[in-house]
Amino acid sequence: MSGPATDDIVVDHLTKQYKKLRAVDDLSFAVRSGRVTGFLGPNGAGKTTTLRMLLGLVTPTAGTATIGGRKYVDLPDPIRRVGAVLEASSAHRGRTGRNHLRMICKAAGLPETRADEVLELTGLTPAAKRKFKGYSLGMKQRLGIAAAMLGDPRVLVLDEPANGLDPEGIRWMRDLLKALAAEGRTVLVSSHLLGEMQLLADDVVIVAAGKLIRQGPVDEVLGSMGTSQVRVRTPQAAELGDALSKLGATVSPQPDGALLVGGVEAAAIGHTAFTASVELHELTPERGDLEQVFLQLTAGMAGIR
Amino acid sequence: MRLVNAELFKIRTTALWWIMGIILLPLYAASLGFNWLTSYAYLSGQADGGGADAQAQIDAAAQPINIATNLYTTGQYMGVLIVLLLSAIIVTSEFFHLTATTTFLVTPRREAVILAKLGAGIIVALVVWVVTTLLNLILVPIILDALNVPVQLGEPAVWRAIGLNALAFGLWAVLGVGLGVLIRSQLAATLTLAIVYTVGAAVIGGIFQLLASQVAEWIGKLQVLVPTTASQLMLAGTELPGNPPRWVGAVVLIGYAVIAGVVGTLITKRRDIS
Repeated sequence: MSGPATDDIVVDHLTKQYKKLRAVDDLSFAVRSGRVTGFLGPNGAGKTTTLRMLLGLVTPTAGTATIGGRKYVDLPDPIRRVGAVLEASSAHRGRTGRNHLRMICKAAGLPETRADEVLELTGLTPAAKRKFKGYSLGMKQRLGIAAAMLGDPRVLVLDEPANGLDPEGIRWMRDLLKALAAEGRTVLVSSHLLGEMQLLADDVVIVAAGKLIRQGPVDEVLGSMGTSQVRVRTPQAAELGDALSKLGATVSPQPDGALLVGGVEAAAIGHTAFTASVELHELTPERGDLEQVFLQLTAGMAGIR
Repeated sequence: MRLVNAELFKIRTTALWWIMGIILLPLYAASLGFNWLTSYAYLSGQADGGGADAQAQIDAAAQPINIATNLYTTGQYMGVLIVLLLSAIIVTSEFFHLTATTTFLVTPRREAVILAKLGAGIIVALVVWVVTTLLNLILVPIILDALNVPVQLGEPAVWRAIGLNALAFGLWAVLGVGLGVLIRSQLAATLTLAIVYTVGAAVIGGIFQLLASQVAEWIGKLQVLVPTTASQLMLAGTELPGNPPRWVGAVVLIGYAVIAGVVGTLITKRRDIS
């Protein structure tokens, strides 16, 4: 381990109190470079507020959020350090996509050739000279990602970037973000698309009601909940069910005739079936999915506050 | 300077600038026609002030030099209105089109953004000033000739009025940016500023006159506190009787511009962008 990397994001006891709502409540977590970190939470959990505080757009009531040890507003050249995609609809309706990017280049002192390079990277070159109001939601997301990549930053922060993308677009974004993380960059991406996150993220940070619920590598978070079950198919469901129940397993029959067995390993189920002379047609370990874990972890904390 | 350049690029890359230009030209033509008519009325003695005080003002306004300064700064009233609206929109459009997020991500030091917007607003104001002044320098000598008044382009007072006109344009741009921060809604900002500038100033002027005649005469002197009155006073060729000296108009306008600029910057620095 090489000590604290210069591109890590550290959120430390971050709090945002609005008049009546504590949107973010003493939240602490860390995001490591070289990995994709999923930032998950129900609607209204404070994800966007947290990201906006990280980027210096919203002033925290207490606590700090730093990138490589510095606040965003103190970074000497923020666009070259951090790329952010916050909302898809953030360009002037009457301006072309290319001019939107050139405008950022001018303000940030980047060469304007970067605008054409990121248009190519995001597949937007054919729409470069079209006005923003003619863009589809997916094209707007791509333009947002293009803008974030202008400064070739080491840190990427994305708020719900998959919104409005078609399946091909989602796959494209997943590949892009994974490739960027593989280059050693820090990638923090918020989403409520849990299936997508399970494919994309290495680590997850789960928040609800402004508080941290769980953080860690996806596998650990999934494993810690012990939701893994085994799908069993047999013509003698009743016999096997009895035998497994004696072992303390939970057996739930499924509408399609299969049994979902929890609390025991697949090997133990196979052995039980063998000793009870029960014929098996299927024995499939099913990893718990992020959605189940997420719903369990955030139970009762979701919803409008 | 980089940021000012970026702000000017933002203005250039939308339809706003040429829409405002198209609006400005007929307004300029109307102003020129109006000034021609009032000049004619002053010169032919058709203007009747009523009271002695007012008559003295009209006599002063009818002096050739005041006719000339008034004509050579034609387009100020409408040009300033356009500049006021444009510079307010420079700010409000960032919130209307949700580009404020991008802008402040690129430049987290928000006072730098506001300064750049002030700079861009002033440059736009000076462009409008140059355009109207060039038009005036071409067209006004023809009008003066038709009115049998000397062209007077050698008079220092004419050039002082033209120069102070540039100052007025710049100050109104600063005012517009500051007010754009205060009234963040694009529609509310443009409507409020346009109405207050045209109708509001006239109404307040009327109230001042009423107070001056009914309550105390010194209240009439406070009329210079109305920004439009202040900027018109600045341009007068000679001191007009019954009015405060020119520099008071300049001070009042600078005061408003500084307050709007400082308050706008402070608010922008504190505000959460979401």
